[in-house]
Amino acid sequence: MSKINPEFTNELKKFGAVNINACYNCGNCTAVCSLSTEDNSFPRMMLRASVLGLDTKIETSLDPWLCYYCGECSETCPREANPGELMMTLRRWLTAKYDWTGLSGLLYTSIPALIIGFILVAIAIIGVGYTMQFNVESIMEFGHDFEMFAIMGVFSLILVPNIIRMFWFTVLKEKIKVPLISYIKGVWDLILHMFTQKNALTCENNTFRWFEHFLIVIGYLLLLFTTVFLNWFETENTFVIWLGYIVGAIIFVFTFDFILSRIKKSKELSKFSHPSDWLFVIWLFLMGLSAFIVRIFIDTDLIDSNIWLYFVHLIILAQWALLIVPFGKWTHFLYRSFAMYFKKLEEDSK
Amino acid sequence: MKNKIGVYICHCGSNISDYVDVKKLNEITAKIEGVNIAKDTMFACADSTQKEIIDDIKSNELDSIVIASCSPKLHLETFRNVAIRAGLNPYNYVQVNIREQCSWAHSDDKKGATLKALQLVKAGIERVKRSQALEPIEISSRNVVLIVGAGVAGMRSAIELADMGTEVYLIEREYFVGGRTSQWNTLFTTDETGEQVIKRLYKKVISYKSITLFTGAEIVSKSGGIGKFDIKLKIKPRHIKPNCELDWKKFDKAVSVCPIEVEDEFNFGLTKRKAIFMNYKSEFPQIPAIDTENCNRCGECVKICPEIDLDQKDEILNIKVGAILLTTGADPYEPKKDEYGYKTLDNVITLQQLKRLIELNDDKNLSYKGKKIKDVAFIYCVGSRQEEGGNTYCSRYCCTSAIHSAILLKNKYRDIRNYHINRGIRTYGKQELLYKESSENGDIYLQFFEDKIPTVEKSKNGATIKVIDILTTNREIELEADLVVLVTGMVPRKDNTIAGILKVPIGRDKFFNEIHPKLRPVETVIDAVYIAGACQAPRTIRESIDSALSATAKANSLISKGKIDLEPTLAQIDTSTCEWCGKCVDVCPYSAIKKVEKEGKQIAEIIESNCKGCGMCMPVCPSNSIQLIGYTDTEIESMIEALIS
Repeated sequence: MSKINPEFTNELKKFGAVNINACYNCGNCTAVCSLSTEDNSFPRMMLRASVLGLDTKIETSLDPWLCYYCGECSETCPREANPGELMMTLRRWLTAKYDWTGLSGLLYTSIPALIIGFILVAIAIIGVGYTMQFNVESIMEFGHDFEMFAIMGVFSLILVPNIIRMFWFTVLKEKIKVPLISYIKGVWDLILHMFTQKNALTCENNTFRWFEHFLIVIGYLLLLFTTVFLNWFETENTFVIWLGYIVGAIIFVFTFDFILSRIKKSKELSKFSHPSDWLFVIWLFLMGLSAFIVRIFIDTDLIDSNIWLYFVHLIILAQWALLIVPFGKWTHFLYRSFAMYFKKLEEDSK
Repeated sequence: MKNKIGVYICHCGSNISDYVDVKKLNEITAKIEGVNIAKDTMFACADSTQKEIIDDIKSNELDSIVIASCSPKLHLETFRNVAIRAGLNPYNYVQVNIREQCSWAHSDDKKGATLKALQLVKAGIERVKRSQALEPIEISSRNVVLIVGAGVAGMRSAIELADMGTEVYLIEREYFVGGRTSQWNTLFTTDETGEQVIKRLYKKVISYKSITLFTGAEIVSKSGGIGKFDIKLKIKPRHIKPNCELDWKKFDKAVSVCPIEVEDEFNFGLTKRKAIFMNYKSEFPQIPAIDTENCNRCGECVKICPEIDLDQKDEILNIKVGAILLTTGADPYEPKKDEYGYKTLDNVITLQQLKRLIELNDDKNLSYKGKKIKDVAFIYCVGSRQEEGGNTYCSRYCCTSAIHSAILLKNKYRDIRNYHINRGIRTYGKQELLYKESSENGDIYLQFFEDKIPTVEKSKNGATIKVIDILTTNREIELEADLVVLVTGMVPRKDNTIAGILKVPIGRDKFFNEIHPKLRPVETVIDAVYIAGACQAPRTIRESIDSALSATAKANSLISKGKIDLEPTLAQIDTSTCEWCGKCVDVCPYSAIKKVEKEGKQIAEIIESNCKGCGMCMPVCPSNSIQLIGYTDTEIESMIEALIS
C-alpha cells in the first residue's frame, strides 16, 4: 500500500524536473534505453513513482544512478515529459537525501542560499589573507594546508557518512542479505566504474562524450595529485611541472566544451541546466584555468607581485572544495560508482 | 413459363471454380429444358461480361436470365441493371448464390460442392421460369418531416430541411428546447457554452416559417407509412396565456410563492425547483412553464401574474408528414445504489452532476454540501464497458468530458487537485490535446483492470480510494478525495415509448438500431423513419450533428420529389378466399395489414407503403390467401422440387 503524495512533484520541480506530469506511461523511454534491463527497468518506473509521489520507493532505488543521461529517452518521449532530466533530478534529490547535514538540499533548491554560501567562503578566504597581511609565502603555505585539510575533512565528515547513509537506504533498509565475500569481490567493480564510467559506453553514440568526461576525470585527479600532493612535498621535478600544465589545460579546454554545449543546448542532456550544473562546469573550468595561470606565474616568478591572482585561485578552490565537492554535483563521482557496487551486491544476494 | 433462359456460371476468379467443377456444371445446365444459352465466365460482374450478357439477351431474344455467382447482397442490383439495360424486366432475373452458400462452405468436398451447386442452379432455373415481370410501385409523398426532439441534432436538421424547401414539424417533449447540450457549460473545442449553441440554433429555427415547433409535445399514435404518415400529437399546456409579455420581476415573485418543490432534473437532483420554472433565464422559448404533473393548482402565482392560466388542458393535434426523424437523445447512466458509494456516501456524485455543480458554484470556492472541495477523484467507465450485467459498450464521450471538466475545475479553482482513475483513456482525435493539457496541469492518472475495481470508503475528510494501479506494477495506491466523481456514460432514454409506437428496432445495447452500421447508418428498417444523434449510440455534439445532417439529406432526397418508388415484392391478398381472421395482422411487424369491407365481406388489405415483403403473414394464413409477389407458392414449390430431384 502506498499513499499518493501529489505535492512531491512540486518538490522535484525545485530540483529541476521538467514537465514530468505529462507522462502517459507508454514506456517508450524504457524500451529505448540502452542501459535498462528486465531486472533494472527504468526510467518509466522512476517517472511513475515521482508523479505519484512514492518517495520511499525512490529513496531506496539505485536506478537513478544507473542512468548516464544520453538523452535518448527524452528524445523519444511523445509527451515531452523529459525522463532523462527527471533521472538527473532524482540524482540531485538523492544527493540531498543522502546528505546528513541537509545543506545539499538547501543549496540545490535555493539560489539565495547558494550565493550566500559562495560569498561567505570568499569572505573567509579574504579574511585569512588579511590576518596574514597578504604575505605571499604564508598565504601559499596556508593554501596547501587548506587543500589537505579540506580534502580530509570533507571526506571524513561529509562524504563517508553520506555513503554509509546511502548504503543504509538502498541495501540495509531494503533487507538485502549480502554474502560477506561479495563485499570484497565487488571492490574491483567499484574502482573500475569510479575511474572509467565504462557503462556510459553502452549508451548509443556516446563514445566522444564518454572520452571527454574520462579525460576530465583523469585530468582532475592528476591536478589534485600535482598541485596538492607534489607541491606539498615541494617537488621540483620537470615532469610534474609539465604534467601540471597539461592537466590544467585539459580541464579548462574540455569543461569549456561542456559549458558551450549547455549554452547552445546542442545535446539532449544539455537542454536543461539546473544552477548546480552551471556551477559545476564553470567552477571546474575556472579551477583548470586559474591553476594553469598560477602555474605560469609561479614558474616565471611573477606570483610575488601578483598575489591577487593566487587569491582568486584560492577562493575558487575553497568554494569548490567546501561547497561543490561535499554538497553539489561532484558527489556523483562517488554515488554513481557506489551505486554500481551496491547493485552488484544486490545481484549477488539473489 | 419462360423458355429462353440464359444461364451464366461465374468462376469468381478461383473462389468458386477451385471447389465447384464449373465446366461440368455448365455442360449439364446447357441440357436443361428451357435453357437457351449456358456459359461459364471468369467474373460475371466484370464490365466486359456484363456487356456480353446484354448482347446475348438482345441477339437471342432471351426472356429471362440466371446468374450463379456470389450472394445477391453483393450483386443483385448489378445484374438487375444488366437486365434493364438489355430491355429485360429486372424481376425476370434470378441470382443463385454458389459462393457463400456453396464453394466457400464446402471447400473440403469438391464433388459434393459441385452437386449442390447443380441443384441450386436447377432451382434457380425453375424459379426464373415462373417469374413475372414486375414494375415498382409508385406512391405519392408529402414533403413534410416530423423531427422528434429539439436538441442540437433535431434543431440543426430542422434548419437544413427548411433550407431545402421541406416543411418541418419539430416537437420537443420538455418545455424548453436544447436537450442535454443546454445542461453543459463550456464545450470543447470552441469554448462556447451549451447555452450559446442552443441560442444560435433556436434563433435560426424560429426564423423559418416552414418550421413549426411544439414544446411539451409527444407522439401518441402513428398510422400510415412511408410518404404518408398520420401522426397524433399530445401537447402539454404551459399554463401561460398566449401572446403576453412576461414581466420578469413578477415571474420571480411567482416562483417564490409557489409552494411546490420538486427535484430539479436539469441539475440532476443537486437542487430543487418550483412547479413554475425556467431552468435558466436565457432559456428558450422565453416563456416560463408550469409543470402540470406537480402543480397543485393553489393559484398563488395567478394572484401575482394574471398571465398565468391554470385551466389550460392537453391539446391533441393530428399532423400529416412524409418522413420522421428521431433525435430523441440519451440519458446519463444512473449508478446503482452503493456503486462506488453512490447515494450511500455523501461526497459521491456523477460526472453530469459535477458539470452542473461547477455552474452552481461561485468563482472562489468549489463546495459540495457545504464542504470545500480540494481533491477530486474521477472514477471512469462507471456503467460502461462492463463484461457482465451492465453495458458492454464504451460511451465514447465520457473520457473527454471528464478530462475537460477537470481542466475547467483547475482553471476556475487553482488549488483543485484531480485524480483520474481510469481503464485506459480514450480521448480520440483532437480531444487528445485535452488529455495532454490535463496531464501537464499535474492531474494524476491511475489505471485499473475491470477484475480489480477500485474501492471507495468513507474517511474522516471525505473518501479513501484504493486502486490496484497497473501503471505502478499493480501496487495498491491509496488516495484521499473530498469529492468522488463517477464518470458515467450514456444509456438510452428511460422513457422510450416512441420506439414502440413507431416500431423502430432496438439494438442489443438498447439504443435505436440502424439498417447497416457502415452503409446505411441513419435509416431504420421502417421506411422513412430515420435516426440521428445520441438516440442511436453515445455521441458527442459534433457526431450528433454529423448524423443529423446525413439523416436530413436522406429524408429530403426521399420525399422532396413528391413520389416514391417502392419494391413490388409485397404481400398480396386473394380477396376471393380471404375470410377475415386477423392472424396476419397479429404477426405483421410493420402494421401493413388492415381490415376492410369489400362487397359485403370483411377481408384483409395490404397497406403497400408499409409492407416490406418479409413474408411473415404467409404461413399463418389458414386459407392460404396471401402470396408474396416474387416468392409465390408455385415459384418456391418448383424450387424445392428441383432441389430434391
